[in-house]
Amino acid sequence: MKKFLTLALAIAVMAIGTLTAQAREQIRIVGSSTVYPFASYVAEEFGATTGKPTPVIESTGSGGGHKLFAAGTDLNTPDITNSSRRMKTKEFDKNMAIGNKKIVEIVIGYDGIAIAFNKANPDLNLTRKDLLLAVAAEVPVNGKLVANPYKRWNEINPALPAKPILVYGPPTSSGTRDAFEELVMEKASKKLAGYGKKKYSKIRQDGIYVPAGENDNLIVQKLAKDKNALGIFGYSFLEENSDRIKGAMVDGVKPIPANISSGKYPVSRSLFFYVKVDHLKKVPGLAEYVDMFLSEQMIGTNGLLKDIGLIPLPDADRTAVRTRWTKRQPLTKADLEHK
Amino acid sequence: MLKVLLYFFIGVLPLCYMAFYLGRKKARTGELESGERFHSRPAQYGWYTVIWMAVPSLVISFIFTILGSSKIFAVPYSMHISTLLVLAAGGLWFSLKNIGSDLKARNFIENTIKVMLVTASLVSIITTIGIVISILFESMKFFSHVNFFDFITGTKWSPDTAFLEGAGRDGSSASKPEFGSVPIFAGTFMVTLIALFVAVPIGLLSAIFMSEYATPKMRGLAKPILEILAGIPTVVYGFFAAITVSPLVVQTAEMLGFEADYTNALSPGLVMGIMIIPFVSSLSDDVINAIPQNLREGSLALGMTRSETMKHVIIPAALPGIISAVLLALSRAIGETMIVVMAAGLRPNLTWNPLEGMTTVTVRIVDALTGDQSFDSLETLSAFGLAFVLLMVTLILNIVSSVVIRKFRKQYD
Amino acid sequence: MNKETRRLSIIKKRYRQENMFKFSAIFAIIIASSFLVFFLANISKTGYTAIQQTEILTEVTYNDATLKNTYRAVPRELSRLLSRGFLRLIPREVKANPELMGTTVTRWIVANAEVDQYMKEKPNRLKSKQIAIIEKLRAEGKIKKTLNTGFFYNGDSKLPEIAGILSAVVGTIYVMFLTMLFSVPIGVMTAVYLEEFAPDNWFTRTIEVNINNLAAIPSIIFGLLGLAIFINIFGVPRSSALAGGLTLALMTLPVIIITTRTALSSVPDNIRQGAQGVGASPWQVVWHHVLPLSLPGILTGSIIGLAQAMGETAPLLIVGMLAYIPEAPTGITDAATVLPAQIYTWSATSLRAYTERTALGIMVLLSVLLMLNAAAVMIRNKFERKW
Repeated sequence: MKKFLTLALAIAVMAIGTLTAQAREQIRIVGSSTVYPFASYVAEEFGATTGKPTPVIESTGSGGGHKLFAAGTDLNTPDITNSSRRMKTKEFDKNMAIGNKKIVEIVIGYDGIAIAFNKANPDLNLTRKDLLLAVAAEVPVNGKLVANPYKRWNEINPALPAKPILVYGPPTSSGTRDAFEELVMEKASKKLAGYGKKKYSKIRQDGIYVPAGENDNLIVQKLAKDKNALGIFGYSFLEENSDRIKGAMVDGVKPIPANISSGKYPVSRSLFFYVKVDHLKKVPGLAEYVDMFLSEQMIGTNGLLKDIGLIPLPDADRTAVRTRWTKRQPLTKADLEHK
Repeated sequence: MLKVLLYFFIGVLPLCYMAFYLGRKKARTGELESGERFHSRPAQYGWYTVIWMAVPSLVISFIFTILGSSKIFAVPYSMHISTLLVLAAGGLWFSLKNIGSDLKARNFIENTIKVMLVTASLVSIITTIGIVISILFESMKFFSHVNFFDFITGTKWSPDTAFLEGAGRDGSSASKPEFGSVPIFAGTFMVTLIALFVAVPIGLLSAIFMSEYATPKMRGLAKPILEILAGIPTVVYGFFAAITVSPLVVQTAEMLGFEADYTNALSPGLVMGIMIIPFVSSLSDDVINAIPQNLREGSLALGMTRSETMKHVIIPAALPGIISAVLLALSRAIGETMIVVMAAGLRPNLTWNPLEGMTTVTVRIVDALTGDQSFDSLETLSAFGLAFVLLMVTLILNIVSSVVIRKFRKQYD
Repeated sequence: MNKETRRLSIIKKRYRQENMFKFSAIFAIIIASSFLVFFLANISKTGYTAIQQTEILTEVTYNDATLKNTYRAVPRELSRLLSRGFLRLIPREVKANPELMGTTVTRWIVANAEVDQYMKEKPNRLKSKQIAIIEKLRAEGKIKKTLNTGFFYNGDSKLPEIAGILSAVVGTIYVMFLTMLFSVPIGVMTAVYLEEFAPDNWFTRTIEVNINNLAAIPSIIFGLLGLAIFINIFGVPRSSALAGGLTLALMTLPVIIITTRTALSSVPDNIRQGAQGVGASPWQVVWHHVLPLSLPGILTGSIIGLAQAMGETAPLLIVGMLAYIPEAPTGITDAATVLPAQIYTWSATSLRAYTERTALGIMVLLSVLLMLNAAAVMIRNKFERKW
């Protein structure tokens, strides 16, 4: 018994002892759940084709990713953070303060947000204003904000069908919801006098907007069955389930890659990741991983990531990103304030 | 892992053996030279030396590692190793010096072991303290922003602004977040209630069947079946609820002319009910068997049928035990996570209709902690607030249940 | 007479009630068992198709052009029907066997998930042109379904056709090893202390109440504990086997303590008294007599605890095991995933090709758990002594 006890104790001690920082072989990536499928696809490809360890990718959300990224410079912090938005100047300052002086910003493409519905339905053309009025918690009626009374689409806009409004959308913990609020609701409410030309992004809670996990099988089943329901999803979801659902036109533009890439489709955003230049020397394979991500085979116009729903950047932008990467051109505050 | 084992086999083990050998040898030669019998057997002196050499250094090493990994104070590697060696050498020297005819090595070993055992049993206390502290600490952060009373009684859960900040977006234009947990607890309550509706009758009747009607052979068959139900992982139940039961419920509801959501509260409730049948049945079975046989025989002798005996004699007598079984099943259902994560919805919904989508406490905890939020956003912290209430509820249920069952046992012991 | 008929009718009624009651008790058991049958049948029905995997016979050309664009290695019409999991490996294959260069080899290659779904007559996204090609292949006998061995020796993948459970299985072994390493010694020691040494005072009672409470705490709360204490304070890497193992160890601890105590208390006191009578010290009584006698019980309890920990998912989600981890861990601080977490990850994807794999993964998990439980029962029946 004693022998056994000492054994257990010693192993416990030494096990924890080996935890202290050591050189690591795997690339560690955190960040946005929107970029996650693309990053993990590239990671798998990287692991399979080079024989190096497959990077470990955790989906922590953009905000959480930036926080972990800026937590320090040592190898216990991630090498890359994925982000579905640009780094904030505040986050940038934090990185500078902690010693992450050199960060390369990489744009990988666009993500469109699709308004999906049953394939059997006729095409639907919605404006952002329609969408705003359908899901907002309060809408302007006679110049005052009142609790959203709309139950049917034609009450919002007589041109729309007289079907009940039922929207399955991302829950508050999701990055897609963030994008939807910013790109649809805030953009549309800023133009409406009823909202005092201010940003408005509160979503109704009376059961017409139903929060639902993005990759939920149950929601696809629901859409495949219920012809009245709409779903708000990332474009890749539409792509994966194209045999059952299709996307609505927003402001008259169809959610197809060409339109999203050219910026015609209004509900889309750029996807980023950020690399610590200092880690390039310490973590084997990190540079190759980024190289592979930026290759034409991945993010090109006919790249593999397009098949799983990434919208490629225009040619000129891709070249620009690649030169920035090959030069290891660090991100500056001016860059972030510029746009 | 390999490194650790190597470390252990070429480092610690030979050293321990060496100490053991030295101690035993000293005791043996001492006995021979002085001609008197030592208090303990030579091997026990060997163990005495091992303890003096290994235990202090291992304890210090453990403390150093904890200090280092929790970033309080990183002990340099050289200092770590040298401290260990000095301690081990010191312990060895001290213990060898002490070995003599009147040293009570056996008592020393016994006491060391006792200390080890007490230390081990402290782990469970430390775990509880850890749970309470970790949850209390984070939920304090949450409750410093959200009034506890509002949290408990509010009927609206809309963490909008918290979400904006968590996502790193400017939240000045949005309204204040509201964290009223009533709709979320309503979801948990609804799912649990449905589960109990399934589990209590089936579980109780199964227990009655097994204790009163079944032949030993049937009992031998029925018991494992129920035990298998308890052994199925919850993630598997969740998959089953989402893939099979939920569409089934929707179809059935449609046939009956109702409208059901795919993320309705009914399907996870039904499946969870099946899951907790064994909790009800096995405890009730024990309790029914614990009722003295003479109560049963007395009733039968008066001409009562078996069912009447059951209804009028056994069940009333066993009631406290059955209640405690149900309470245990209830606390299990309230804390169940995977089934609801996979099959229930994300919509905070205050309704009596089980066909609508509802969300539960555990779903919100998982959603908040695995979602796109930053770690210190209010929504993430709300998970700890919910966990705090969940913890309190299950603890209260457990305490009530154990008090009830203790009373019951006393009655028939 | 009237009284007599009334009495008879009452008796009749009472017997009817008796039968009703008996019937409903039997009915309850039938419901429970038929649920189990339905459940197992349903999972098997969903999962059995994943045992097979579609393969296509094709020519693979190895030359400079195919190294640049591996899609060119196979006939053009097949390039979008074959799994990228094979095609992308061509450059490495050539590197390993340089003599392949410039040759053309005819071989069976894994088809992609859509083709696989079509061959299994499940919904798919193939275009009618592609279906025509497959039908042609079928007529020529160039497409077949074979045993899906890849499921057992591949790790997780974003390509359903080559996704497997290896990394999850290895991760499970690591996590379970750590769980047992921490929980069994501590659990048994606690039980020995409480059962054999502890005086009856407030301290002992506190520990006892405490263990009971720990057993009732929802597993997800142990996940929060792991996150707050092990990961945030002690700096254990997120999603590592160590983080998962420690968390599950604390969760399993009460089970092991409680079963060990039962096993210890079933050893009759005259054994202890006998040992004491010949001069054994308290610890020698335990070590030489009580523990060996209660070993089967302790073993059974540990196996049951192990089986419980093996099926647990919720706390592991909280300590970060939901990540995409395609490679088997090689150390306890490496990122690892476990079988239930893998099942959860797959079930959450909307690609339908994963559904059958999820179900097959469940079948594997269930069979392991059933075997563990059967082993526990066997040990109990074989070695348990009745006093």
